[in-house]
Amino acid sequence: MAIVLCRVDDRLIHGQVVIGWGQPLGIDLIVLVDDQVAASSWEQDLYRMAVSPGIEVRFMTTAEASAQMGEWQANGRRALILTGDLDTMAALHAANPTIVHRINLGGVHHRPGRRERLPYLYLTDEELRQLVALEARGAEVTAQDLPTSPLVSLKALG
Amino acid sequence: MTGGWRSLLRLIAVQGTWNYERMLGVGMGYAAEPLLKDLQTVDPVRHGEAVVRSTEFFNCNPNLAGLALGATVRAEYEAVPGAQIARLRTALCSPLGALGDQLFWAGLVPALVGAAVVGAVLGAGWWAIAGLLLLYNAVRIGTGVWALRTGFDAGMRIAGAISGSWIPRAVERIGPVAGFAVGTAIALSAGWYLEGFGWAGAAGALAVAATGAAVTRWFGPAFTTVRFALLAIGLLAFFRWVGL
Repeated sequence: MAIVLCRVDDRLIHGQVVIGWGQPLGIDLIVLVDDQVAASSWEQDLYRMAVSPGIEVRFMTTAEASAQMGEWQANGRRALILTGDLDTMAALHAANPTIVHRINLGGVHHRPGRRERLPYLYLTDEELRQLVALEARGAEVTAQDLPTSPLVSLKALG
Repeated sequence: MTGGWRSLLRLIAVQGTWNYERMLGVGMGYAAEPLLKDLQTVDPVRHGEAVVRSTEFFNCNPNLAGLALGATVRAEYEAVPGAQIARLRTALCSPLGALGDQLFWAGLVPALVGAAVVGAVLGAGWWAIAGLLLLYNAVRIGTGVWALRTGFDAGMRIAGAISGSWIPRAVERIGPVAGFAVGTAIALSAGWYLEGFGWAGAAGALAVAATGAAVTRWFGPAFTTVRFALLAIGLLAFFRWVGL
């Protein structure tokens, strides 16, 4: 399997992603899917600085990633798909339900209206309903910030 | 840069209000306040917005937080749209976390601690510890002053200012230095501790080290240093109890 993790993390590329997951999973490609970052070269420069030399980072819009996902799945590279918000991941799932099957909630942080579900996961009730709907459409949604911490099912978050 | 020194002092305690909701956010807001003071007379509405923005969720290595603080404050004075400043803060968490952690937690701290242990074993005693504390804090504070100034000078051009600075080069070099210092310190301090214990003591220490290497290999990241130390203490207590 070439796409080894699909993660939602609003901090995008940081230590948990590059070291925490990247090393044990042997990731060599991070695909950051974010329409705004894909259009902003200064943001890309900043994110690129956070990645170790052995890992390539690609910045893509939701549409580009949806179209190319089958290709990454087929080739031998070990890729991590990263989005900053739930909507983008839901769109990727809608485009490729078999590839984006298991979705990892790695970090969604505080914003007005969101409630703490886990120390690294703050969701509004609406967002939780959105995730339940995503599971109803066949995705498997779980929360886990690091490979060494416990895997939490969506049911346990409500 | 009015309020620069007050802001720097406050940055030293930037982790004082660390919490999962905002991480460094409130500490950053507290440190930004003296720098944003002048904005109050120029544009009071903008000042209010800027103060609120400066306390929002933020996380990075505390020693490099000044780069983000300086850059965002400069952007506020230059009336960069608020949404863009929020994106700048989010994007800065990445390199300032990664570079700062490699430079300090995985680089400078083990390098200096290793050097201090070597110094202590070779007879420098408490002077080695005092040297470690002085040197580490001098680098930390020096970096803090540099970071705030560099951030404020660069504003929205902060990416280029970081990549062109000494930080990425220092990150590359400090890793091997830290490895060498800690490696030397382990060998020298092991010899120092085992002096007088003879061959039995050396064999026991070797057995503990071999067990540590083996369980780390088999149990991977789940077997932390603390868990291994607890296991080792438990085993030693058991051996004593059975009279070995």
